Amino acid sequence: MADAILDALGPVLTRWTMGGSAVPNAPAAWSDALGSDASEAELRLLALSGQLLGTMAIPEPTGEVRPLGDIPVLARPPLPDALRPRARRLLQQLREPSARRTLLDFLDARGWTLHPGDWMPRPGEDVPEVYAAWQDWAAASGSPSFASETLSAESWDSFGPAARHAAFTALRRQDPAQANALLVEKIAGEAPDHRVRLLEALAIGLSDADGPLLESLAGDRAPRVKALAAALMARLGHGQSGDENAAELAAFFLVQSKGLLRRTRAIVPQAMKTPAQRSRRSALLEALSFDAFAQALGLSSAELVGAWPWGNDALADSLFAAMAARSAGDAIVAAVAEALTTDAAIDPHALAQILPRLTPSQRRQAALRPLHAKASFAVVLTIAGGDGGIDDAIRTPAGTALLAALKAEDARQGDPASELLALGLLASRAAARQALEHLAEMGLIASDPRLDMLRLNAALEDRRPTE
Amino acid sequence: MAIDLTAVEQLATDQASLKAAAGLAKAGKWSGVGASQDGALIWGECAGSGANPYRVMADLRDLGNKCTCPSRKFPCKHVLALFWLHVEALLPFPAAETPEWVTEWLGRRRSTGSVPKLAAPASDKDLHAARIAEPEPVHDAKAASRREAASARRAEDTERTILEALEALEQWVRDQLRLGLAGFVDDVTARCRRIGARLVDGKAAALAGQVDELPARLLALPTGDRVRGATVELARLVLLARAFRAAPRDPELRRAVASAESRETLLADPAAPRVAAAWEVLSEQVRTRRDGLVSQTTWLLNLTEGPRFAMLLDFFPASAGRRASVFTPGEQFVGELLFYPARSPLRAVLLQREAAVVDGPPLDWPPASAPLEAALTAPLLAEPWAAERPILLPPGRIGFDRAGAPWWQPSQGTALLPLAGEAEGLLAGTELTRAAALWSGSRLELLATQTPWGRIGHG
Repeated sequence: MADAILDALGPVLTRWTMGGSAVPNAPAAWSDALGSDASEAELRLLALSGQLLGTMAIPEPTGEVRPLGDIPVLARPPLPDALRPRARRLLQQLREPSARRTLLDFLDARGWTLHPGDWMPRPGEDVPEVYAAWQDWAAASGSPSFASETLSAESWDSFGPAARHAAFTALRRQDPAQANALLVEKIAGEAPDHRVRLLEALAIGLSDADGPLLESLAGDRAPRVKALAAALMARLGHGQSGDENAAELAAFFLVQSKGLLRRTRAIVPQAMKTPAQRSRRSALLEALSFDAFAQALGLSSAELVGAWPWGNDALADSLFAAMAARSAGDAIVAAVAEALTTDAAIDPHALAQILPRLTPSQRRQAALRPLHAKASFAVVLTIAGGDGGIDDAIRTPAGTALLAALKAEDARQGDPASELLALGLLASRAAARQALEHLAEMGLIASDPRLDMLRLNAALEDRRPTE
Repeated sequence: MAIDLTAVEQLATDQASLKAAAGLAKAGKWSGVGASQDGALIWGECAGSGANPYRVMADLRDLGNKCTCPSRKFPCKHVLALFWLHVEALLPFPAAETPEWVTEWLGRRRSTGSVPKLAAPASDKDLHAARIAEPEPVHDAKAASRREAASARRAEDTERTILEALEALEQWVRDQLRLGLAGFVDDVTARCRRIGARLVDGKAAALAGQVDELPARLLALPTGDRVRGATVELARLVLLARAFRAAPRDPELRRAVASAESRETLLADPAAPRVAAAWEVLSEQVRTRRDGLVSQTTWLLNLTEGPRFAMLLDFFPASAGRRASVFTPGEQFVGELLFYPARSPLRAVLLQREAAVVDGPPLDWPPASAPLEAALTAPLLAEPWAAERPILLPPGRIGFDRAGAPWWQPSQGTALLPLAGEAEGLLAGTELTRAAALWSGSRLELLATQTPWGRIGHG
């Protein structure tokens, strides 16, 4: 009955759209209800049609309605409900991606993930590997991925790009040889962006066994892949050597002897006469490998790290550190990190170049030196990231300075909020509790939102097995 | 953190504030009073004239304070009363976990770095004099009967004025049909404004508000759906006008056409149902209306017995600035609501909220109202002038049609309901075991959902 009337309403609506009386077109079933008075009948017809259309006629979708697949359950559990409001407040504060990354790393280090109701990564966003399944879910508009547990030549295509990268990285850590063999077979079929990311994972456990693969990529179509393969070759000590460029770069520097026995070598940069000279030197530092540079100067790579005139020229330091990060072996990279963090004044730009090459424990070591010198928590956070494992963090020069700043807060000595946040991201659970006790003694109230990170830290159980 | 009465006196902007505060410094006006563990913060909820209680909070260290009431006095009478309660220990302030809304306020204070200054001490303020209540007006039987007669006359006048305005409205609707709905859709804002003004003059303020919002509702529809939408909207106006003419004294219809009863009238009305139950705050909607008022709608779900939903509605001037939320979506509390009398009661005011929230684990949502088809249409048929009604949906999930538009799809059955707005992230990637939503007959607006991942709030 209702359907028949709905069909009959077509002409009524057409009439009203254009303007005029629709009573002559009214459904026959309603003629009694409309009555005989013309202007009254019009309103009655409107009331009846409107109510029918408003309650009984639900719009129809365009084509079939398809639900998306379920959001995958991650390898690590989401934060407990009780802690989510605090995490949401922190996410509000940490909108900038690199700052948010420190929080994600912190949770990852403790063995937790954010709740998908609070935050989900965008496809391609730089986030800890544990979130790869969500990125692929979002990228594939929720089509369920049937990824099996281990990555192999057969299962390669059943992985989404993010999950595949995460699985490849995991495989490389476990079994470098098998990862190499898999890449030999599969890399040619990947897009340049994915080739670069996969190749980057090869840096983990890089060995001479990877030589043939890297050589084969020296002729890759994509310049970025080519450059990365060459840099990885250089890390293995197979850089191009003795070429003219290296000699040209070496000519910008003098190697002198110093010390009592004249055994220590020191590099003295030549004065730059023109901006053109300067930019040529920069270009060469960006292009050459570390070993080639050392050779051209007549030094070993280790000697070169010790002889470099740190702190003279910030740009040169940064390019030099980048050169090491790109093309030097692990031992040299560690030496550069040490050289950069023993100094009282830390150059965050130079250090930032080297950090991606360090293991988490190396990063923590690199962070502890300045922490026990006099660097602020914010600076230490840029080195260690959201480490969440540093003990006794409040008993450091930075901790003392923070407590003093809070005591003198009315005098406005900068805003302690960022230091409190950094402390919360760095400290171990015990250290966070200890810091909260100190801060409570200072008169900070527990509900102070600046303590959110510390309180989250103190409340968050460490789910990772101790190393 | 001891403060004394002198400090409270100095805080007040004038004598009138103190006097008003004295009236509020009574245990019966307050609920949810508490203090932080370290005694630095105090807070409480004070019943005001609106549907929602005001949330009052203060920092005893520097007497910084905040209240959600729309008063432009700073501090307002509620804050003064809270201080008063604390100083004179008129109520216990049990130590408790600091509520989210207090923490939020504290965060905003910090970020702007403003430390509220103490008001300059004014002379001649005597708190105790202020506390002496005004003498009750003497009752005079003759005067009372005169007043009653006058008010009955006024009510009749008002009714006549409204009926004339409704006559004009019906004529206006006829004109729109005669001139064509295509033209109406094109010129909807200007045309509605004209008749809206006529309705305000005719003392049909609530109906005028509906007409004011009509263009926004209509233009939110896809272009192809607007003539149908216009038919539904105009029909709704006619239905309401006719219902009012049939029963002009009906409180529900009077509310929909003219204005709602005041809180006092409602409190005195024996027909207004009182419901004590456990409630969950589903969502809070804040909208700026065309007339410059901001409406704040809080949707509550009854987790125990009684009406399934409650709506707390307040208005305040947009010029009063952004108001802090009164409730946190997702929170559950035990409290007593007073419903405006209606065929299916929905709008209510909060009478009393127990200090302790629901003990133990959160209560589960009740099962969905079944069967779905009847649940969707029955409320709109019973109350044909309502633009939307809340509904509790059975298990389902969100799907997308070929055009990418989101639809709610039940796990069992075939009814597809089009969603208002976007659906992304977790909402689109999980089973919705329950969903509370507003159904307008053509669009579903989700308020909150339960999922295997927990509760998700919307809007």
